[in-house]
Amino acid sequence: MSDKSTKNRLDNVLEDPGALAIATMYARSYMTAAALNGVGAPEEELNSFLDDVLGSFSEFEELLLSDAVGRDDKLAILDRTIAPKASEFFVNFLRVLIRHGRIAMLPMIRRVLGRLQEEAAGKRRVRVRSAKPLSESSRSQIREQLMIKLGFEALLQETVDASLIGGMILQIGDTVYDSSLRSRLKELKGRLVEKALNEIQSGRDRFSHPERD
Amino acid sequence: MKFKADEIASVIQKEIEDFRGQVLTAEVGRVIEVGDGIARCTGLSTAMSGEMLEFSNGTRGLAFNLEENSVGVVILGDYLKIKEGDEIRSTGKLLSVPVGEALLGRVVDPLGNPLDGKGPVLTPHTRPVEWQAAGVAERQPVKEPLQTGIKAIDAMTPIGRGQRELIIGDRKTGKTAIAIDTILNQKDTGVICVYVACGQRGSSVAGVVEILRQRGALDYTIVVAASSADPAPIQYIAPYAGAAMAEYFMYQGKHTLVVYDDLSKQAVAYRQLSLLMRRPPGREAFPGDVFYCHSRLLERAVKLNKELGGGSMTALPIIETLEGEVSAYIPTNVISITDGQIYLESDLFWKGIRPAINVGVSVSRVGGNAQNKAMKKIAGSLRLDLAAFRELEAFAQLGTELDKATQSQLDRGYRMVELLKQPQYGPLHVADQVITIYAGAKGYFDKVPVNKVQETERQLHEFIRTEHADMRDKLVAEAALTEEVEGLLKKALAAFVARLASKS
Repeated sequence: MSDKSTKNRLDNVLEDPGALAIATMYARSYMTAAALNGVGAPEEELNSFLDDVLGSFSEFEELLLSDAVGRDDKLAILDRTIAPKASEFFVNFLRVLIRHGRIAMLPMIRRVLGRLQEEAAGKRRVRVRSAKPLSESSRSQIREQLMIKLGFEALLQETVDASLIGGMILQIGDTVYDSSLRSRLKELKGRLVEKALNEIQSGRDRFSHPERD
Repeated sequence: MKFKADEIASVIQKEIEDFRGQVLTAEVGRVIEVGDGIARCTGLSTAMSGEMLEFSNGTRGLAFNLEENSVGVVILGDYLKIKEGDEIRSTGKLLSVPVGEALLGRVVDPLGNPLDGKGPVLTPHTRPVEWQAAGVAERQPVKEPLQTGIKAIDAMTPIGRGQRELIIGDRKTGKTAIAIDTILNQKDTGVICVYVACGQRGSSVAGVVEILRQRGALDYTIVVAASSADPAPIQYIAPYAGAAMAEYFMYQGKHTLVVYDDLSKQAVAYRQLSLLMRRPPGREAFPGDVFYCHSRLLERAVKLNKELGGGSMTALPIIETLEGEVSAYIPTNVISITDGQIYLESDLFWKGIRPAINVGVSVSRVGGNAQNKAMKKIAGSLRLDLAAFRELEAFAQLGTELDKATQSQLDRGYRMVELLKQPQYGPLHVADQVITIYAGAKGYFDKVPVNKVQETERQLHEFIRTEHADMRDKLVAEAALTEEVEGLLKKALAAFVARLASKS
């Protein structure tokens, strides 16, 4: 169930948006609570718990994340094993998750938390699809332009897609800025077809209403 | 006409040179799940209800359900080519269809793609499929008649331009036949017809198209076909697309006629969509807004006021009932929306009374004002006479001895029923209808044996057309039974009766 487990989902296949919304809620609350309680770098403990504890002891991970074990048992196990070694704040967070039956969302919460922290720091992820691999200069140019135009530091996630023919597509959140040659050619095609249609129509009109000319 | 290659080349070259591709910005989402003609997508946070969306393979969709974390999209096209994870783009436009003169004589699907193999539909105009119906101030009362060419309808349930008259009946009672005859009768009247086939068998749509083509009615008709093999979303939007195509002409001041064949299938398609979208089911599992689905469609049939050009859109929705059950959900809804209904019965149909119109139950709530004056004058008492005849007929079946007056009333009733029969694809001009009904009601057919009535009627029309054409022309021109015309008509009928007597 952690990120390291066998990959059984395609990259373009999405998580359940309902689950994502819930995970976002928990991640945001975790971040806010940490700030209120003066806990610095709350993601460190979460990452370490997921990587060092659950990552190394897969039986423990299964035990904690599975539905087969009851809530009270899980809480008891948590108190016996993790509580003495971890901060009170983090253990409380785990307790809340267990009580709400959302402990299995932990890996997702971590991902969302990472994204939220980036956003809080004025960084945003930008998906860049280009026909050819980007050069270092064009990379810095993209970053610079995004900083000027939209006012955030871009974290580029690059993919190469030869079918774009040329140019690139930037995606920030749900908004896409498409300047690929493929889309432009498509638009040009549409415009040429429309022009041809108008020509044909006017040619027809000339025959059917000759008095107008 | 020949194209000059270099001329074209320079035009194209200039177009390409001037082409400045702009960065296209769009809102995108991803498909989470897809199946049965619908897709659920994430993202698209700014999508509007009813907005047109585009999948990455070019298939169009319609934002149908806006939910907290996802958007329910109706797929207008082949949903089998869409995969989970595909990109979907908002377009910021409403779903539109091509409209215009180029569509006349064509058979298209509800998105305006040609189905008849006659090449692309060349029209620069489009129109949103969903359109707000004209308001009260933009309308005027229904006053002009729309002649169906069917005696029983034009005489007893007249239809006006801008009216919505429901055709309702069981399967195989001739509902489509009435609609087709009405379309055929619009030849040379300038009325533009749209026939929307929704959930029909492909073969019956092809049959209708063939009939329209043979009779030269396709020149002023658009056929919008969504067969039962098409996905539910396509069937659902078909009537709206047909209405949009007619509206284009209506707002140009022309008269239009739209046949929705049939709305019960559209309601079923809408039910399928709604249930797949997990909208809560109501009565007969239809969603709560199935009434709105039909009312907003039929409300678009209007007679526009003079400032807007005075165009009109007459709607003939068709509803199929099960075992004559008119109190089912969809029939009651549509009956309450429309301005009257023509009720067809299978009993009458199998008795040979075709069109199988039940005169007692069929009504037209506004058409009376629109009726041709001549017809109004002679058909006023026809409905009551027929009702009286039905009562007498039931009484006479008891085998009681009847007095002479009753017997003659019965005989005339039999002949009247016979005269109201009409073969399919044989619409009559209103003047001919007036002559027939006048002759029947005034007893000129009393001497003709009942089984010869229809043949004699044909002979009468032939006689009038060849020997008293001036009288008929006058009747056509004045559209009223003035004393002069009535006198001439009486003379002609007397001559005809005399000729019949001399023959036998």
